[in-house]
Amino acid sequence: MALGRFLLKRGIQGVLVVWGVVTAVFLLRFITPGDPVTFVAPLDASAELRAQIAAELGLDQPLYVQYADYIVGLLQGDMGYSYLRGTEASTIVLARVPATVELAVAATVVAVVIAIPLGVISATRRRDPADYGATLFSLVGISTPNFWLGIMLILVLSVQLDIFPTSRRPIGFFETFAFLVTVENGFAAPMNVGAFLDGLRTWLWHIALPAVTLGTYFTALVTRLTRSGMIEELGQPYVRAARAKGLPESLIQYKHALQNTLIPIVTVLGLQLGTLIGGAVITEAVFAWPGLGTLVIDSINVRDWPLIQGSLIVIGTGFVLINIFVDALYAYLNPRVVH
Amino acid sequence: MSRDDSDVNRRTYLKYVGGTAATVGLAGCSDDGGDGSDGSDGSDVNDGSDGEDGSDGEDEEELPEPETREEHLRRANLRLNERAPWIYLNRQYSVYGIASRLDWTARRDERIEAQAISVTEGEPSVTITQSSMDSGLDPHDHRETPTDNIVVQAHDGVLGRNADGDIIDALATDYERLEEGRVRFEIRDGVTFHNGDELQPSDIAYSVNRVVDGEVGIESPQRDQLAGVTGAEVVDGGVEVTSDGINPIVFSLFASYCKVVQQDWIESRESSEINSDMNGTGPFQVVEYEQDVQIVYESYEDYWGDAPEIDELTIRAASESSTRVSQLLAGETDLIVNVPPQEVSRVRDEDTTEVAAVPSTRVVFNAMRYDVEPFSSVEFRQALNYAIDLDSIIENILQGFADPTGQPTLEGFVGYNEEVDPYPQDVEQAEQLVEDSGHAGAEITLETPVGRYLRDVEIAQAVANQIDELSNVSCEVEQRDFASLAGEVTSGELENMPHFYLLGWGNTTFDASQTIIPLLTSDGALSSYREDEEVDELMSESQNLPGEN
Repeated sequence: MALGRFLLKRGIQGVLVVWGVVTAVFLLRFITPGDPVTFVAPLDASAELRAQIAAELGLDQPLYVQYADYIVGLLQGDMGYSYLRGTEASTIVLARVPATVELAVAATVVAVVIAIPLGVISATRRRDPADYGATLFSLVGISTPNFWLGIMLILVLSVQLDIFPTSRRPIGFFETFAFLVTVENGFAAPMNVGAFLDGLRTWLWHIALPAVTLGTYFTALVTRLTRSGMIEELGQPYVRAARAKGLPESLIQYKHALQNTLIPIVTVLGLQLGTLIGGAVITEAVFAWPGLGTLVIDSINVRDWPLIQGSLIVIGTGFVLINIFVDALYAYLNPRVVH
Repeated sequence: MSRDDSDVNRRTYLKYVGGTAATVGLAGCSDDGGDGSDGSDGSDVNDGSDGEDGSDGEDEEELPEPETREEHLRRANLRLNERAPWIYLNRQYSVYGIASRLDWTARRDERIEAQAISVTEGEPSVTITQSSMDSGLDPHDHRETPTDNIVVQAHDGVLGRNADGDIIDALATDYERLEEGRVRFEIRDGVTFHNGDELQPSDIAYSVNRVVDGEVGIESPQRDQLAGVTGAEVVDGGVEVTSDGINPIVFSLFASYCKVVQQDWIESRESSEINSDMNGTGPFQVVEYEQDVQIVYESYEDYWGDAPEIDELTIRAASESSTRVSQLLAGETDLIVNVPPQEVSRVRDEDTTEVAAVPSTRVVFNAMRYDVEPFSSVEFRQALNYAIDLDSIIENILQGFADPTGQPTLEGFVGYNEEVDPYPQDVEQAEQLVEDSGHAGAEITLETPVGRYLRDVEIAQAVANQIDELSNVSCEVEQRDFASLAGEVTSGELENMPHFYLLGWGNTTFDASQTIIPLLTSDGALSSYREDEEVDELMSESQNLPGEN
């Protein structure tokens, strides 16, 4: 019950945050130089025609009217029309969400799967070659720029060794499941497991390099966090007591010490996942991955405000949801936070 | 001022005469057959400033009056070289990477028409990767080359161009000028849209009106591409197009712009539907469109022209140039756009890929506002041109993939003045002109977009460094977001425009007027130079004279 109230409170805070994002982005429109009419009007457009186009786009209205219209539309799921593309902003933005989420989650999985065991090994074998190796890996990972790593991975693993494709996202993760639940003439068609596996393999092969590129910095960070957390926990009196009781070392390390170490790591994972959703621009560009990051940049370049706003609202909402999820997880790992 | 004017007038006379009837007589003085890299081409320019005092008035009167439209344009280019409203920089090249299994000639107008691609080996399917996808598939509601490349596969124009830029028939089989301001197109029979419906002359009239008339469907951003055209109507089975005035380049405009759509198809659809499908008469029809990801076409069996040699065409995008190159080298794509100079060797060194480079229709320049000091001084503007080592910029920054320019019009365009050379670098001359201008010690800032044109920031930095090396001018670069810079330039208000900025201008009509009028006349929408009555007059007269096109 306490957890439910806690989550409700967080949910209300989240709505306020998203509203804050919408308002801030809206206000930014008016202090950002560059007029969207420039990109929509003919080059020889007269002042009258520019004014007419501005009116068609609703840009001639006072700020509060535009703001109220936008909020009312948003509450009805309408993010407006892209100035340049003539299609609904929500359609364009939401089409980018799966690619972004897939990449962020895959990068996080890469980070967790590699970083936590590496951090534990590093902490439990201090001053061993394994520890030095893990520390060096962390240092290199944190210091390596994403774009360089991405380009190098493509050059070596795609162009030279022909193991992975260079770029693109020919199929989405959830699209692969369509092969299992095909409906024909109102009846469920036989599952095409072969096509499903092929699709999954294609997806996996295409996401591998972007996920590693995006996840490397993250891996290095989590490795260091795990190592330092584990070292601190292993020095705690309860660990000495456990050892004195004769508990197996692996149980002490993985059950007791690691669980306590995970609390700050989960926080960082959550924050980082949120950042990845909005901030994978470079990785998306290098791998031609059609995510939200590149959409935001492209839209900013042409001042397509409905798309910019729509993308930032989706990113902000994603960030809030992840944080609520992390809070819930945090409450589960450490029930004291609920109180 | 008088010294400089006399220099200008002497050059004016020599070059005008050299470019027309007296070519043979004067050719020996200046024609060394070179490219000017040793400075000898430009030596007459320098010589002219030395000892001609007192002769300027006579030379001016000796200038013969231009008669034909082309002579007017050539004269305007000469005048603009001398008055130096820009620092003339380079003509960009379009540089493509292609799989060796393709046989394809790059076009000068930056468009990729897949119909011209043939496959010498392997499957008859081709993938093209450009820097971005479309901004919607409405053929009349965009203005960027990537969208053009996607639209032209499915839509034909009234007229067209071959790879060299010459006008060819397309949906019109014949065209003629009926009277001042009215031309007629005879429409090809037996042409069908991809939905099977036959092309009607009314579809062509509707397409023209949809571009030029805001009351018909949309306010098309392409309206200025059909400059002067006021409307179209069906008359006796043909289409007659009306213009303001004689509109000498009307056929040239229709060869480059205005794709033909089916009126019923467009009118029965919402904007979002028009932007996500195409129904043209072109050689390829759309079979799959995934916004921002890819578009897949198959060849259209009932195409009126020569059937394409490839069966399937896919267009995708990768914004990062190194990614496009990697895709090509890995065999994932067959043709990529905008290979940057530093990546050229990667493509060239591979057995399965090659580089195709062609001079584009885009000129890169530094505009200077005529109404603010120090740029209000002709001497100062000329000085900046003399300060620049253009050959070094082209060689070192653009790796040779550019041509130097000395006038706004590019070689091969109607109105290009072949007697006008790029300014040679002459630091002494530049410093002297700065002194003469009365602006010694000037501090100026060159504003440049970032990443909009090939190596734009590097070019701007080189220009600023070379100006800064003059003993009496200091120059720095300010990097600008293109959207805000473009907003200021296109605002239509001179006082909103930056004082000194780098810009590129593509002109696929292959006619001087479409660069000079918008950018360098008093009424030009983007003009930073609105003081030159002679240029205004020459351009105004040229637009009232019949042209070849």
